[in-house]
Amino acid sequence: MTEVESLRPLAAVAVSAVAILGILAAHRRPNLRESVTLVSATVMFGVVASMVPGVLNGTVYVTRLGEVVTGVPFVLRADALGILFAVLASFLWIPTSLYSIGYMRGLDEGGQTRYFASFAGALSATMGIAFASNLVVLFVFYELLTVSTYPLVAHDETDEARSAGRKYLAYTFGGGVAVLAGTVLVYVAAGTVGFSAGGIEGLTGGAGTNVARLAFALLAGGFAVKAAVMPLHSWLPDAMVAPTPVSGLLHAVAVVKSGAFGLARVVLDVFGPDAIAEIGAGLPLAGLAVFTFITASVIALRKDNLKRRLAYSTIAQLSYIVMGLALLKPAALVGGLLHVPAHAFMKLTLFFCAGAIHVETHTDRISRMAGIGRRMPVTMTAFGVASLGMAGIPLLAGFVSKWYLLAGSFSAGNVVFAFALLLSGVLNIAYFWPVVYGAFFETREGSDEKPVIDANIGGYWSGVADHYAGGAFTDGGHGDEDDGGWKKPGWRGGEASPFVLVPILVAVGGAVVIGVAPATVYFFRIVRLVVENVTGVAV
Amino acid sequence: MTDALLGVVIALPVIASVVPLVASFWREEIGWYVAVVALVLNAVLIGSVVRSFVSGGILSHEVGGVAVPYGIELALDGLSAPVLVVIAVVSVGTLAYTRTAGPRSNSFYSGYLLLTAGLVGVTVTADVFNLYVFIEITGLGAYALIASGGDGRSAYAALKYLLVGTVGASLYLIGIAYAFVATGTLNMADLSARLADVGYGDTIVLASFAFIIAGLGVKVALFPLHTWQPDAYSASPYGVAGYVSALVSTVAAYALGRVILTVYTPGFLTANPVVSSGLIYFGALSIVAGSVLAVLQTDVRRLLAYSSVSQFGLIVAGFGIGNTASVFGSVVHLFGHAVMKGALFLTAGIIAYRFGVTRLDEYAGVARRVPYAGAAFAVLALSLVGVPPAIGFVGKWYVALGAVRAGETAVAVVIFASTLLTLMYVARLLDRMYYGEAPEAVADGGGGTRVTRGMVALVVLASVAVVALGPSASAVQETLALGEVLGG
Amino acid sequence: MTGIGLFAGHQYQIAFVLLVGVGLYTMIDAKNLVKKVIGLNIFQVGLFLFLVSSGYLAGAGPAIVDGEGRYVNPLPHVLILTAIVVGVSLTALALALIIRVYDEYGTLDEEHIQEVMDGD
Repeated sequence: MTEVESLRPLAAVAVSAVAILGILAAHRRPNLRESVTLVSATVMFGVVASMVPGVLNGTVYVTRLGEVVTGVPFVLRADALGILFAVLASFLWIPTSLYSIGYMRGLDEGGQTRYFASFAGALSATMGIAFASNLVVLFVFYELLTVSTYPLVAHDETDEARSAGRKYLAYTFGGGVAVLAGTVLVYVAAGTVGFSAGGIEGLTGGAGTNVARLAFALLAGGFAVKAAVMPLHSWLPDAMVAPTPVSGLLHAVAVVKSGAFGLARVVLDVFGPDAIAEIGAGLPLAGLAVFTFITASVIALRKDNLKRRLAYSTIAQLSYIVMGLALLKPAALVGGLLHVPAHAFMKLTLFFCAGAIHVETHTDRISRMAGIGRRMPVTMTAFGVASLGMAGIPLLAGFVSKWYLLAGSFSAGNVVFAFALLLSGVLNIAYFWPVVYGAFFETREGSDEKPVIDANIGGYWSGVADHYAGGAFTDGGHGDEDDGGWKKPGWRGGEASPFVLVPILVAVGGAVVIGVAPATVYFFRIVRLVVENVTGVAV
Repeated sequence: MTDALLGVVIALPVIASVVPLVASFWREEIGWYVAVVALVLNAVLIGSVVRSFVSGGILSHEVGGVAVPYGIELALDGLSAPVLVVIAVVSVGTLAYTRTAGPRSNSFYSGYLLLTAGLVGVTVTADVFNLYVFIEITGLGAYALIASGGDGRSAYAALKYLLVGTVGASLYLIGIAYAFVATGTLNMADLSARLADVGYGDTIVLASFAFIIAGLGVKVALFPLHTWQPDAYSASPYGVAGYVSALVSTVAAYALGRVILTVYTPGFLTANPVVSSGLIYFGALSIVAGSVLAVLQTDVRRLLAYSSVSQFGLIVAGFGIGNTASVFGSVVHLFGHAVMKGALFLTAGIIAYRFGVTRLDEYAGVARRVPYAGAAFAVLALSLVGVPPAIGFVGKWYVALGAVRAGETAVAVVIFASTLLTLMYVARLLDRMYYGEAPEAVADGGGGTRVTRGMVALVVLASVAVVALGPSASAVQETLALGEVLGG
Repeated sequence: MTGIGLFAGHQYQIAFVLLVGVGLYTMIDAKNLVKKVIGLNIFQVGLFLFLVSSGYLAGAGPAIVDGEGRYVNPLPHVLILTAIVVGVSLTALALALIIRVYDEYGTLDEEHIQEVMDGD
């Protein structure tokens, strides 16, 4: 691996930081303001993409910026794992920005300057996380990510939004504190906090197993908060009160992925698979991940609010990544890491569709979405494709990562994990299928009761009749008015505006491409390189 | 030659403080100009003194040429240099603020200059009795300035502070009296050698240490000796509250650190583990109690006052742990907290002058009406929480590092938890400021004070500095050579 | 050593403790603000007594340049002079503040003042 001094990692972080100023300055001219966002997103992606060929050849781009604290250099480093995350986030920012424009204007939302500025800030922080060369720099940008996403979560300013925002702050800062504590322990034990593929030398030897276990627990726990591993997950469903593109950012582009990324760094570059096996921390983490994705999938079955269902789906899918990392076998690592972009594209598609539905029909409840496929066929087809991908159907993105995860579980020798994966695949289908089926094959008048959603656990039927008479369910503050009949106004049918539709198509297209021809998409090659560097095994 | 400047930087404000009073026979409102000239000049002199320390090492000056240990010595080393710098910066900065905001009477500026002289004196003196005198001078200046609000409430708060503060200073005096009885000297360096001879386990040495800590603890406003602080900070004018909160407790904490590290030395702490644990837990208690009390407050100034209790707990714990990392962390946090807390009070003043509000629930939505001041407030508050890369994080990092290295896990846990504790009240404040219906801007905040661009620019500058200084703090570590201070 | 003997040797320390105790107690217990200031003064006087007496040598004379024999340590005297001056200025400031408080609240009783302030 050759290190090359370059300003490109810094440029990637700085582009959107500078864009914040531009957005604030263009406060009164929305079109100018939005173009600042789009231009900086494109430039950022360009900068990051330009580093990919080099990284695949073994070059690592480095920007040195002095010291954060004594003994800890402030260095931005674009290595394989970092580039994986950075390419994903910067690419997805482009369609998310387009989508935001369509969404916010479609709903005539207020506070758009704050929104776009915070988004730019969040992306800057995400680039910083991706390119962090050690735990402290990672922590710095991790906290900045929390600070910049808080205004997005609490955007609506309703009581519910503000309380969700406070919960988000409490959870993520709490996670940050754990990360800091773990970082200090690692620094004291090993004398350094820099990432090195395969783990920091002497980390477990230096201070003893128990200290190493404590440090791992703190670091993993801290990152697990953002990665929504149970039982630290409850901020995520509450954060669904935010506008849909924010949910997309949170789930697919930046926030939970940064938690997963942090975890990946800890597993791969701070401790290393061998050290983790030594201290016996892999199995508990994997077990927690399995618990999470089974439980979250079951909970998702019962959620009527589409975004909440998607939230629990994210919690489950993120734990695939965690499990992949925790199993420590090369194949599992590949599966886990590949799921990062795979899930991102699929989940983004799903959220974009949910948002499009909301903009066009003001509907958030699955039970009221019967027949909507007739009005918005493109949207719902994309939704259907993405759901199939989530379940792991071949030729779609989710399949490749799941394949490797299964291979990894078998090679880890523990059949339970493989079985759990297959079970969750079934559950995935179980909670997505009704949405798709209802959208295309049912009509509003003819839709059935939904026993899984409406029945109390334990079997007593309550309020089923009320439900269809317009019973009192609360929603995320966006209103839940009925749109009588699915009319088809205009030339594009009942679909949302192109700003909204094109990103959906881009996202779902990406999911398809990753699934059909994974080797051509850089993600796969990058992931293989990462795992090879860490384990020395070519997968 | 430069070491003689150590005496000049004290003398200059003292002499200057007489001028406004004398000049008031001819002109009113001349105080501000005198203070500006004097303090800017003083800042320049401080700059040159610090520069000569940076290049040449520890400075030392014997007042009047009388040899140590009979005479009074003034000194500058890695522990006091940052404090001196922050005094210079904050004294000029607050002056810029009080031009429009604060009281403009001549007597106010006399008091201001006297207070500054006291602060500088505490920082550069190397004699424990001289320290007492300067602490009392600082106290006098502070009491007078706090009462400058003009109404009965501020006079009462100042009186309460006076009574409690004098008891504190007197306890300190008892402590150094015991030390004097035991060793016969008052010079810090000499005292430290003689105390070692007497023996760190000796009753009189322990007793003197206890009294000194108790006395300075009152001045630093550690829990439970802090009760004077919330009233004092909430009853005084905002410029004064900013100045006092930024510097008075800061130099008292510096004095505490100086006594623990230079006079008693870490050797004393090692020889008496009970003492060192006591000190550390005392600090930890303040961290927790201060934050919890801050969350319960409805008045913003009282909230900031209790927040200070918590932050100084961290600093004292750092001194108590006594290794290079934690002491450096305490010094960084002393500096950082001074800038942050002072600027927070000044910003609260801007909001109060603009909207006439002082209570947390009245703060709803104000940040949207004063975006720059609101942003500055948010940045400063988040830095206090410890969001990197601002200076609030840096101090905490080093103290935590020192705690873990020293094996003090309980304290390390408290330090990490303090982020969340601080977040509790900061989040409330920020949430209130940014969301909700904003009140109407009052023409003059009911006090005849308008908000100028300069005031807002000042607090914005402070918030930028707080973020920029974070990463640069570690560059200073070598220069400060705290290892020498610790007798390393 | 008899009880009186014990006292006789340490009369200054005992007086110190008594004065400090009385002073502190007055400060805490008295309701009248002026009495609190008086208590503060008593407290400080006790302290000064201790410090001055610490330099005392039995049978020694004052420290004069041309004097003979042993002399009492003059350093504490100097220190206490300084401290007395500080104490005087503090008392002056305290009394000035009390006057201001009296002008506003019309009373010197701390409880009454507290009531009025809480009522604001």
